[in-house]
Amino acid sequence: MSLDNLISNWSKLRVRRPQVDQYKDSPYKWAMVIDLDSCTGCNACTTACYAENNLPVVGKKRFLEGQAMHWLRIERYWGEGEESTQEFPEQGAAFLPMMCQQCESAPCEIVCPVGATHHTPDGLNSQVYNRCIGSRYCSANCPYKVRYFNWYNYPESAWPSPLELQLSPDVTVRSKGVMEKCTFCVQRLTEAKSKARTEKRNVQDGEVVTACAQACPTSAIHFGNIADSSSTVAKMWKAQQVELSADKQKKDMKHEKMPAASEVASGVGASVEAEKLRGYRVFEELRTYPSVVYLERIRSGEV
Amino acid sequence: MNKKTYLMALFNDFDAAARAIASLREATIAGFAMKDVTLKSPIDHPECAAELGSRPVYIQIFSLIGAVLGSTLGFLGISSAQANFLRQPRGGFPIVPLPPNMVITYELFILTAVFFTITACLVVWKIHSDKNSLYSVSISVDKIGILVKAEPSAIDAIKQIFNRQHALEIMENARV
Amino acid sequence: MSTVVEELDSIGERRFEPKAKDINEDIAWAKINTDVLRSLERPRPIFWVIFLSAVALFGVGVACEIYQYKTGLGVAELRNPHVWGLYISTFIFWIGMSHSGTLLSAILHIMHADWRKPIYRFAEAMTTFSLMTAGLFVLVHLGRVWQFYYVVAYPNERWTWPNFSSPLVWDATAIGSYLTTSVIFLYFGMIPDLAICRDSATGFRRTFYRLLSVGWQGTDRQWSNFRITYLTIACLLIPLAVSVHSIVATDFAVSQQPGWHTTSFPPYFVAGALYSGCAAIITLFIILRHTFRFEEYMTIPILEKLCKLTFAISMVWTYLNLIEYASTWYGTDVYAKQALIYRATGIYRYWWWAMNFLGSVVPFALAFKALRTHVPTMMVVSLLLNLGMWIERFMIVTPTFAHGYYPWTWSDVWWPNWIQIGIVAGSFGWFTLLFMLFCKIFPSVSMYEVKEMVYHRIRARK
Repeated sequence: MSLDNLISNWSKLRVRRPQVDQYKDSPYKWAMVIDLDSCTGCNACTTACYAENNLPVVGKKRFLEGQAMHWLRIERYWGEGEESTQEFPEQGAAFLPMMCQQCESAPCEIVCPVGATHHTPDGLNSQVYNRCIGSRYCSANCPYKVRYFNWYNYPESAWPSPLELQLSPDVTVRSKGVMEKCTFCVQRLTEAKSKARTEKRNVQDGEVVTACAQACPTSAIHFGNIADSSSTVAKMWKAQQVELSADKQKKDMKHEKMPAASEVASGVGASVEAEKLRGYRVFEELRTYPSVVYLERIRSGEV
Repeated sequence: MNKKTYLMALFNDFDAAARAIASLREATIAGFAMKDVTLKSPIDHPECAAELGSRPVYIQIFSLIGAVLGSTLGFLGISSAQANFLRQPRGGFPIVPLPPNMVITYELFILTAVFFTITACLVVWKIHSDKNSLYSVSISVDKIGILVKAEPSAIDAIKQIFNRQHALEIMENARV
Repeated sequence: MSTVVEELDSIGERRFEPKAKDINEDIAWAKINTDVLRSLERPRPIFWVIFLSAVALFGVGVACEIYQYKTGLGVAELRNPHVWGLYISTFIFWIGMSHSGTLLSAILHIMHADWRKPIYRFAEAMTTFSLMTAGLFVLVHLGRVWQFYYVVAYPNERWTWPNFSSPLVWDATAIGSYLTTSVIFLYFGMIPDLAICRDSATGFRRTFYRLLSVGWQGTDRQWSNFRITYLTIACLLIPLAVSVHSIVATDFAVSQQPGWHTTSFPPYFVAGALYSGCAAIITLFIILRHTFRFEEYMTIPILEKLCKLTFAISMVWTYLNLIEYASTWYGTDVYAKQALIYRATGIYRYWWWAMNFLGSVVPFALAFKALRTHVPTMMVVSLLLNLGMWIERFMIVTPTFAHGYYPWTWSDVWWPNWIQIGIVAGSFGWFTLLFMLFCKIFPSVSMYEVKEMVYHRIRARK
């Protein structure tokens, strides 16, 4: 039986991912766009993530030891500030919300010895807690280091009674020794999909968002389905000329430069087409094909 | 016919043992065949054993069978396991990736070949083992023994041959 | 003219005169038996010192492991991104050590190097036990060790299999095969000696050796089948051993991290494995020689040959090491280059330079005959080489975590804490414990092969 399956489906089993138009026929491919220009580094997304996904708060000591469990972390980089007479001069801080990039060709997936992490049909990089044996190879191979390991048995200590009542019933509480990471709030996606299925339709744009996108006060995080070309996120990907299955984006050369100050002043640069293409994916050249597009920050000096 | 006597002579060195085997082969003694002669030695001595005539070893055929079986069944087993594990698409790799399967096939090929080799050897030893044969502890030290299974009528002639080569000791067992 | 020739001759004679005593070819075979079997009886008191300290060390490791098992891996101060720590470094170290046993027992066997005969048995035992120790590290490092069997491809009703494209599954297969084959090879080569033990033992020991020696009587049929089987397994074991450490190297080479993603890793790892293994064989050679009074069999000329072998391999390793640096330095991969610079100048720089010194400079001590034949010096040198190779593994694993792709995880000062060090120390105890037990229960010098060796040497002399 199994041999028969192997022979009859040979060509299908030899398909190598990712491909161009891989999600053309599938209803969903979840993706994100994060506008760094809007990000203020307020950490509301991180907090929302902790609340939504039952993340344990590890405490100051363990946080300093590097054992924090923030699936979504706000990274702060300091560039050069500027001397200015303004009341609030540019300090040079840059923020980057970093979570699992849900890579199409995820380095973590091929190295997991037990297949605890693999790809779902809607393009998520899933993590099966029950199957995980904790070899941490996925984390070692992750270029973004966004996988978090349960170093201790957090359910014992992280939510002293009655705090366990705050836990989301839709999300597993992970025990010690398993790897975990951002799931794009898969519990929300599942719920939305099953609701849509009962109503015999597809999930519509804006019907479901992740907790971080919901909590972001400046709407820097956009979440949606890029298999649906009419969704906001798909349009943003297209406008930024980011192709999911490319490791080097072929961008229109005329957009490579910022519009000159004179153009902005004359109103030419104000149109969307002339705006600098800001979209990039982190470590695209490593051929991980991430599902998160970041929009580069526009500094005040550049405008 | 079944009633055969075991006779074992111990020698001090391989040359004497080789000479004794040669004269056993040349002599024509009724009720005795060269295939019933066994050399027992503390070290491997192919030259002396060659005097006994050709005794082929078939172990490597089994190694080959093991290697072929291990590699084909290993590869097919892994690939069909992957094909059935439908929820295992991984980015960047097809569901049945060839190079990793080759790696595991390679290991299985060697492991199966080793298993077949050692099993074949142990089975061959078991086939040739003889509960009633004679053994002397000194063989594991430094003496060379020649064990002969023959009709009782042939025993005296064989003993003479052994004594001519200055056998240290001749053991006899007529239980069977 | 003639005087010059005579002078040269005399110089030549002086130079090639054997100074150290090799195995006495006229040794009585009965003496070989008694000398080796004596090692199964009363060893020197130093044996008990080594054995008991090994037990104590192992106890420390077990205590640390129990604490870690109960509390979670966090107590070992592992963290993101330092997720592996000492466990994987030491795992590679032990896997590496196992390779020289195969070198001595299989490669030198098919090359008919007869000097290996008195020492290959313990080298082969070293292979087996260091593999067992390495296997422990795989378990120790797992987050959920109680579910380790998920890695094994066993048929089950849910049709779930391990991920066959993961190098860790290749590891499990390769190490499993290697361990099985090594145990078979070690045991199989020991059967004639087990028969000797059977013939001279009494009581329950006799039963034990009788069962293990599977009716060995030294018949010509047994010997000829034995010879062919042993040779076949040796031939199968060599490519297996090479593949095992290549696969361990793919754990790193298949991954994407800077400093690991190198095509030269498999040969580099194999050379490093043979290197550290040979150094370990020298150490154990000296310890066994003294503990079990094997001075007559483990002679200085054999030690010298071992040292020459180690020196040659150390130069191969140095070459591959330099190749790796050069190809990274002149290559276009900026991340790999930055990882190399970090190794040489970052917080682990002292270790990196120590590794290069111990691995590439210290082996030159082996090039001098005066040092090579001096046993205490060789003990120190071999330990230094082993230390260097252990640091090499540490330098492969740790700096890549400290300075990988992602800048946010950089410059993370990380040193192993006492739990990790305790478990690593425990592994040395475990290895020594097994090894010493082996030498106490089984003949650690191959009696029948020493007999063959002296027999053929006498024949050659005639």
